[in-house]
Amino acid sequence: MNPSEQAQSYSSENVSNADDVALIRRMVEADETALGALYDRWARSLYSLVLHLLRDPDEAEDVVEETFWQAWRKANSYEPARGAVSTWLLTIGRRKALDRLRAKKRHKEDPIGNDRTFADIASPSPDPSENVEGSELREHVRAALRELPAEQREVLELGYFNGLSQTEIADATGQPLGTVKTRMRLAMQKLREPLSMHREVTE
Amino acid sequence: MNGISHEEAYSELAGVALDCVSVEVASAVRAHAALCPECGPELAAMEATAATLGELVPSVQMNRGRGAGIRSRLLVRARSERETRSAPVPGPPDISRGVASLTGQGQRVTPGAQRVVTGETKRVTAGKPTRVPLDVAPISSTSNWFAIAAALAVIATGVQLFRVTSERNRMRAQISAPDTTAHQKDSLARVLSQRDSMITAMTGPDVKVVALGNQGGRQPLGRMLWNQSSNDWIMVLYNLRPPKPGMTYQVWLVTDSEKISAGTFKPDAQGKTMMHARYTMARNALRAVAITEEPEGGMPAPTGPMVVAGAA
Repeated sequence: MNPSEQAQSYSSENVSNADDVALIRRMVEADETALGALYDRWARSLYSLVLHLLRDPDEAEDVVEETFWQAWRKANSYEPARGAVSTWLLTIGRRKALDRLRAKKRHKEDPIGNDRTFADIASPSPDPSENVEGSELREHVRAALRELPAEQREVLELGYFNGLSQTEIADATGQPLGTVKTRMRLAMQKLREPLSMHREVTE
Repeated sequence: MNGISHEEAYSELAGVALDCVSVEVASAVRAHAALCPECGPELAAMEATAATLGELVPSVQMNRGRGAGIRSRLLVRARSERETRSAPVPGPPDISRGVASLTGQGQRVTPGAQRVVTGETKRVTAGKPTRVPLDVAPISSTSNWFAIAAALAVIATGVQLFRVTSERNRMRAQISAPDTTAHQKDSLARVLSQRDSMITAMTGPDVKVVALGNQGGRQPLGRMLWNQSSNDWIMVLYNLRPPKPGMTYQVWLVTDSEKISAGTFKPDAQGKTMMHARYTMARNALRAVAITEEPEGGMPAPTGPMVVAGAA
């Protein structure tokens, strides 16, 4: 990508996030067409995530619907300073999916041994709808994931994709709780470097 | 957890960002981070990182029809809520004012509720409709049901959809008219959203249509439309005489193994009925739709004469 292409790409992502924020503002003003537009932009990403977590298309669709409904009802709680709209939406959706996943674990429908890992996202199939810059960013994060020590990657997998609390991770891995917390923090700090670099370039 | 120290909060940031701590800990850490110049940005960065992890998941396309159904339901709910909020007298949303209100004494609608079929005057079932083993049914055998349904004549297509679409277009024009008052616009917008919802449910590549008629192939007649993506069922029926005193009509979804009650109804004074239900069924399971005359309140299995039917 030459510099002019890069600048254009970064610019379009900024516009994209600004567009999302504008949609949220319209939702606060009870403009339901903005909800439709937000759905068109993010339903696929959200569905992909919650399906990966829940492994059940019906439940994943339920979570997508609940998430966008919450976004509509709580649009005025979105704070741009805390992150992009996509971050906000994916966080809501993931929490809802984790609630279901944890309920399943309580009922032994999804035992801890049925783990989700990063292995199946390490070599993703290309998404033709993904923009170049987004693809580059994700590849940076994937590379950082691959470089994580195994024990740090493990606590992320158990926490992020399997919904285990730090205490449960400590029980599952036989490690002290403090060690789990440290590994999790170190892993997150290493993964955020590509994001930090990305923001420095785009700002 | 009150009065959390900076060091304690900092050590929990990753767990909070990943939702791996208790609600109490998360609440205390967030309260601290909201005021701490170090923890606030750190937590935001970690939450952004966590969200990016979610975006690494391989992209999967939702079933197009079901995705469209979710989108449609969200917009109808949002529109309905907005209208309720802006109504002069606040109160609970009237969820019965869905497509059922378009004609006569239709069934009530439960927007967004899955797998629920409701009745006109009485909820026949909570959750899935009554499932009745065939051997309990005291009327004709399954093969007879299918034979009768298969012999029915095919009715004209698209009449009701054309009517609803025409009304929708007329209302859109009326809303835009300069002499329409704000109150009239609100009222029209509410009805318009119902029309839009109905058109969405009645159209699309995943809509299966069952022609309904009586055994002579003459009146009464109508159609059952099943949107297999959104699992909306809409039945439109004309020229049906009122049921006998103390009786009602009951709709049955007939599969290979059972007859499922889809609710009771009575036509309006002109003999018109429109019902809406939402119920999930395997795509190839439906064999026929039938309507029988039953005692008021409905029966767990068909007992009365079949007045309308159609093969799927």
